[in-house]
Amino acid sequence: MKKNTFYLVTGCIALALLLIFWYSVELHTPLLIEIAFIIGIALVYLAQRRVTGVINDERDVKIGEQAMMRTMQVFWVVFCAFSIGAVMQILYVPTFPRPPAGSPPPDLLGPRMIGYIQLGLLCLMIFLYVGFRIYYARKYGDFETDEE
Amino acid sequence: MKNKIKIFRAMHNLTQEHLAQAIGVNRQTILAIEKEKYIPSLDLAFRISRYFGVNIEEIFIFDEKTPVLVPHE
Repeated sequence: MKKNTFYLVTGCIALALLLIFWYSVELHTPLLIEIAFIIGIALVYLAQRRVTGVINDERDVKIGEQAMMRTMQVFWVVFCAFSIGAVMQILYVPTFPRPPAGSPPPDLLGPRMIGYIQLGLLCLMIFLYVGFRIYYARKYGDFETDEE
Repeated sequence: MKNKIKIFRAMHNLTQEHLAQAIGVNRQTILAIEKEKYIPSLDLAFRISRYFGVNIEEIFIFDEKTPVLVPHE
């Protein structure tokens, strides 16, 4: 498979996932998009292995590793900060004066808010990775011009 | 770490593309090494020096300013 064919296939998979996501939202069935996402990513990896004419050498691997490591270093702090907030929901201790017995604990983070925060975290992770990838690509000479 | 890849390429009349193909890396990697933006692994350094038929130290020059810890005997 050529490189451009791979990009075409990846684009088709992304489009299919978008449609399934929309359909999944319409049906209120998150399992559908979750399974489709895993299958989609597996298909992209399979297609990637069949690409010919592209050399993924040690410098590319190093750029990818460094970018992912830095992304995780930043991301885990943000993720833990959010998670600590979410854990408060589990460890809810009634304040004084105590609410009447049997009353439900207040929603510190509602399900919708958790969804928004997770979307934000997902976007943050993608932006961090792309940003660090560009930074390390520049650092290891990806944008160097040549006299040849 | 300094290197003389460009000189050896010129001596052998090789382009970056040819050298990259011969040792199985991207042309951009050869360019990055030549411009000292990337220090190759020992494996790649050996492959480059073997390709030119010389010792590794004839192509790659260790920066003496880098502190080296000598083990106690």
